[in-house]
Amino acid sequence: MRTFVVVPAYNEEKTIEKVLHDLSTMGFEFVVVDDGSMDGTNDIVKKFIEENNHGFICRHLLNRGLGAAIKTGIEASLEEDADVIVTFDADGQHDPNDIYTVINPIINQEADVCIGTRDFDDMPRSKKYGNSVMNLITMIFYGIKVGDSQSGLRAFNKKAAKAMIINARDYGVSSEIIGEIKRHNLELKEVPMKTIYTDYTMKKGTNLFEGLKILSKLIFKLFK
Amino acid sequence: MLMIYQVIAIILGIFAIILSILRFRDGKMSLGMMFVWILIWLGVILIAIDPNSTNFLAVYTGIGRGLDFVLIIGLLLCFYLIFKMYNKIETVEEELTDLVRELALTRKMGEDTKKQDKTKSHSDEQI
Repeated sequence: MRTFVVVPAYNEEKTIEKVLHDLSTMGFEFVVVDDGSMDGTNDIVKKFIEENNHGFICRHLLNRGLGAAIKTGIEASLEEDADVIVTFDADGQHDPNDIYTVINPIINQEADVCIGTRDFDDMPRSKKYGNSVMNLITMIFYGIKVGDSQSGLRAFNKKAAKAMIINARDYGVSSEIIGEIKRHNLELKEVPMKTIYTDYTMKKGTNLFEGLKILSKLIFKLFK
Repeated sequence: MLMIYQVIAIILGIFAIILSILRFRDGKMSLGMMFVWILIWLGVILIAIDPNSTNFLAVYTGIGRGLDFVLIIGLLLCFYLIFKMYNKIETVEEELTDLVRELALTRKMGEDTKKQDKTKSHSDEQI
């Protein structure tokens, strides 16, 4: 089984090298999708790949958003004949050991998609509200209740990766993936995972503004 | 005697017509769109010169004054155009993303590509 870890990265020069180091030490193949970073992300990743002769990088010439980067990463992994595809945030908020937590149900054929769920009680209050609202919105618009709709750590088998059609370009992709799981009747498993909160990771991800943006797009979709 | 709002509307209209023609000449606007815009702005200029010309619309539709009717229609048209534009931009964004993705995938760099490059240069040497 070939496992590919997709790492969407936008201006992550501070954390990306450690993430890649962890991944390659653990023996995982990875595809970094540099989503038009303007800092040193691209150089750092290229240097890492050349020095270790391990991993891939795809560079978006323009910043197209998280959703677009994930889609590129999944396609690149499928090109490399991946059996299991994992999405993993580049900001260092995930514990690399949790990759095993999400891929095991896929390898054991218990599920098509496995999502790592953050502990909401452990979450800083500002994030907790935002994520609870996003869970509710995901339920209203896609009709599926999940523990953590905005989780960045997910694993897909080949069937799921090929079936899902991702259109959302921004953070709305997380909810859309949940919707696609339901639409294609894919078997979903949710497993608890660790999240590392630092000042750096706190600044990234879904905040109230992103939440409102996602909401307005979903409403617009209804009228389209 | 023309009121200030009339003068402004006329100047604006003429300016917009000239802009439409220039954009058409630069190939940035289609012929059809240029005619639509010229018609709209000619309408604006005509109404500005003679606001009473809209009175028949008032009688026809039952809306108090003719100018109100024109304004309502104008507003609706604006909303429609904004909606159209939003859709258009959304499509362009999608196409742009597809293009950026395609480029990223064809230029994918990594362990295998390097190996491929090596075999390529190797076969080049043989030739």
